[in-house]
Amino acid sequence: MLGRALAVATLALAVFAVPASAAIAPDSAQSPNAEEIRTAYWVMLAVALVIGVALLAGLLTATRRFRARGEAREPRRLTAGRGVVGRVGAALGALAVAIFVFGVVMTGDAREAEADESAESLDIDVIGQQWLWRFEYPDSQSETIATVFSYTELVVPVDTTINLSFDSTDVLHRWFIPALGGQVEAVPGEVVETSFRADEEGVYEGQSTQFSGTAYPAMRASVRVVSQDEYEEYVAGLAEDLAAAQEDVALQAAEEAAAEEGAE
Amino acid sequence: MSPPTVAERHPEVVTRGVHRPPAAWIETATSADHKAVARLWMGTSLTFLAVTAVLFALTRVQLIVPDSTIIVPEVFNRILTATNVTAIVLFAVPFTCGLIGYIVPLQIGARSVALPRLNQLGYWLYAAGGLMIYASFLYTVPETALSPLPPLSDDVFSPSNGVDAWVGGVALAALGFVCFAINLVATLRNMRAPGLAWRRAPILTWAAGAIGYVLLVVGPAMLAALTMLTVDRHFDGVFFDPGEDGEPLLFSHLSWIFFTGCHTILVLGAVAVISEIVPTFARKPLFSHRAAAGSVVAIAVLGVLAWMQNMYASPIPEGFAYLAMAAAVGLLVPIGLLYFTWTATMWQGSVSTRAPLGLALAAAIALVFGLGGQLMTSVVPVGLQLENTTAAQQGTIMVVVGFTLAAFAALHYWLPKVSGRSVAEGPAKAASGLVLGGAIVFAFAMFFAGLEGQPVDVFRYYENEGVSTLNLIASVGAFALTLGILVELGNLAASYNGGRPVGHDPWGGSTLEWFALSPPPPHNFDAVPDVRSAEPLRDIREAIREREAAYVPPAPLEPSAPPPPEPVEPTAPTLEPEQVAEERVDEPIGESSRPGTTATEPEAPAEADGSGDADGAAGADGDDSSIS
Repeated sequence: MLGRALAVATLALAVFAVPASAAIAPDSAQSPNAEEIRTAYWVMLAVALVIGVALLAGLLTATRRFRARGEAREPRRLTAGRGVVGRVGAALGALAVAIFVFGVVMTGDAREAEADESAESLDIDVIGQQWLWRFEYPDSQSETIATVFSYTELVVPVDTTINLSFDSTDVLHRWFIPALGGQVEAVPGEVVETSFRADEEGVYEGQSTQFSGTAYPAMRASVRVVSQDEYEEYVAGLAEDLAAAQEDVALQAAEEAAAEEGAE
Repeated sequence: MSPPTVAERHPEVVTRGVHRPPAAWIETATSADHKAVARLWMGTSLTFLAVTAVLFALTRVQLIVPDSTIIVPEVFNRILTATNVTAIVLFAVPFTCGLIGYIVPLQIGARSVALPRLNQLGYWLYAAGGLMIYASFLYTVPETALSPLPPLSDDVFSPSNGVDAWVGGVALAALGFVCFAINLVATLRNMRAPGLAWRRAPILTWAAGAIGYVLLVVGPAMLAALTMLTVDRHFDGVFFDPGEDGEPLLFSHLSWIFFTGCHTILVLGAVAVISEIVPTFARKPLFSHRAAAGSVVAIAVLGVLAWMQNMYASPIPEGFAYLAMAAAVGLLVPIGLLYFTWTATMWQGSVSTRAPLGLALAAAIALVFGLGGQLMTSVVPVGLQLENTTAAQQGTIMVVVGFTLAAFAALHYWLPKVSGRSVAEGPAKAASGLVLGGAIVFAFAMFFAGLEGQPVDVFRYYENEGVSTLNLIASVGAFALTLGILVELGNLAASYNGGRPVGHDPWGGSTLEWFALSPPPPHNFDAVPDVRSAEPLRDIREAIREREAAYVPPAPLEPSAPPPPEPVEPTAPTLEPEQVAEERVDEPIGESSRPGTTATEPEAPAEADGSGDADGAAGADGDDSSIS
């Protein structure tokens, strides 16, 4: 049975070699903090594989090698001599300490993109709500628009440190763009911050990973990384659109008011 | 006038009918005997295992293809919620309670438990909790995923009664676990057999102690959280209301303490069962009893301390994240030591690969996958990327699968004690292959999908995410897993009353539960032996063997004495199984004269001694050797 189970495991690995060849690691990193996470991931994958294989190899070898065949022989009543368990425990302990230290070291630059003096930075407020994200851009040039904002798609300039500041208006949400770094939980009433610095233009997609009610899988987000010029153009366009929309609304309100007056 | 000395000619027998014992199920349901209560725990939790396996398969039906609309979102979320809560709160932890509740009092040579009625109350609270959760299918079903985290679960965002059903059901079950744990701790502290010091206690007993204390810590934490949530929902409380300076993360902490505690209990239960089965089937004592017992305690402490390993992305101070990482990574030491101990126990042994050992090894394999995955995600940067994705979730699922396999191993091993019948091994082999193979396929597929960013708890994924093939494979694996579980449950149910009858000690176990009859009588033991080592039953067998070896048929005292009337085969009487059973009751560990172990059937040895003196034939007894 064990042999069969191992065969199944091997087969499974073989089956996965095809679809998973592109997927044995997270999406390739596009931000320095995501690079750190990839490094930590590869090291931990190797460590976990080595430990797992060692534990199972020992166990299954012992089972096979000392299987009772024919008449049962009297086994040697082998028990721990002084120090054997201690040595194994110490080795495991040293390994655990090493992993812990490694984890602490890698955490430093994994949560936020490390500061880079040469790079410009941009502060964006992200507000989660059931079931979309709202992004508020800074530095509105327009007089009529207080805040330039967009939903679902965040557009940022390339090679710029983007400082995200999260809040939620209703329930817990999680910001997660795999290519641009780890997850951040948006908690109502609490401001949580993270940052990233995309080094390549492109569209990076992600999805909230915190169950947030009925339509939770729809809580998706994408980050479109563009050149600095394109970004400014985009924000200006957004401001115009918003101003136009605001005018429309004002016009509509005025019309309604007029209609009401006419009715009276 | 003297009373009549002669009985009346027709004595009048007055009777209103003989008292009829109640039906067996009434007896079981109302008895406070720890074995009856434990049978209810196990039976109910295994029923919930079947339910959760089917519900799990249903969630995977939905996720076979992208953008699936087979099940509408609301219904999917309800099924998902029921799957989660059933697997952990209604199956895994209660099954551990049942197994411990049955076996551990026997293992420590107790004739009962310390607080039998509290123990019984614990079961009925849990049963009421399960009923409450499933009765909600009649009105409003909870949609909470694993845990109803506020603000989503407060009265603004979840105005329906579904959350209340979840909260009430889990609270009742948690209260039941606490009642169980109080009785368990009291029993373990007060009712161990003479000589059963903790250093000689079997590993399952150690794990039971650890589980008792874990439940006493995490159960009340969850009860507190659920009480606060109820106050928030119905009495305008502001414990978790961010608008009123409440702290939504407090609930996350408390519920993660509970669920991480449950996860720790699963690991403890599984490794304890494996640690009991491996020495028996290797025919060797545990390589290091101290290391195994110490590891069990270390897992209990570190496992619960690591509750924040699922909250790295939440706004908690970095120091807390490091504390959780230290505890979670530290688990490597006790778990590695246990695997080393099992390996060393089988080394040089005489390993018989019967179904219990096969299932236990399958459980060990599944646990390596699960715990290895968790070792990865417990490192903060990796956790940031993987937690709440299916990559981290498969670790938890593999631990649950490992626990389920260990539960099957435990049932194969101990069900002969419960029912007096063996469990068929053929279906078990097929089932364990299906369960383990299916789970591994599922786990790998979900791991890779999680790396692509697939979150947990979604009712749909999109075609362009690149996880469609992986989800298809995962669903196939999940169906095999469910099928395997159902096959094995059917096998257990069929064998419970229909299995081949076996003796009291079918495996040659070395702990005290095998000293009791199968099934044990209500008082468990006629006489409780003194315990001299970690393997009391081996000592008893040794004593019997020595007595047989030392027996010399007594020579006639004088040549002129008449020969014994019937020459009887000297070894025959003690070798008969039923004689052995009597023997070990009468004279534990070869010291017949010890006070405190007085035989409950004094006739047998008296007769034996008498006949031994008279004609030296029938009473084969160790004492005779001293005469000659």
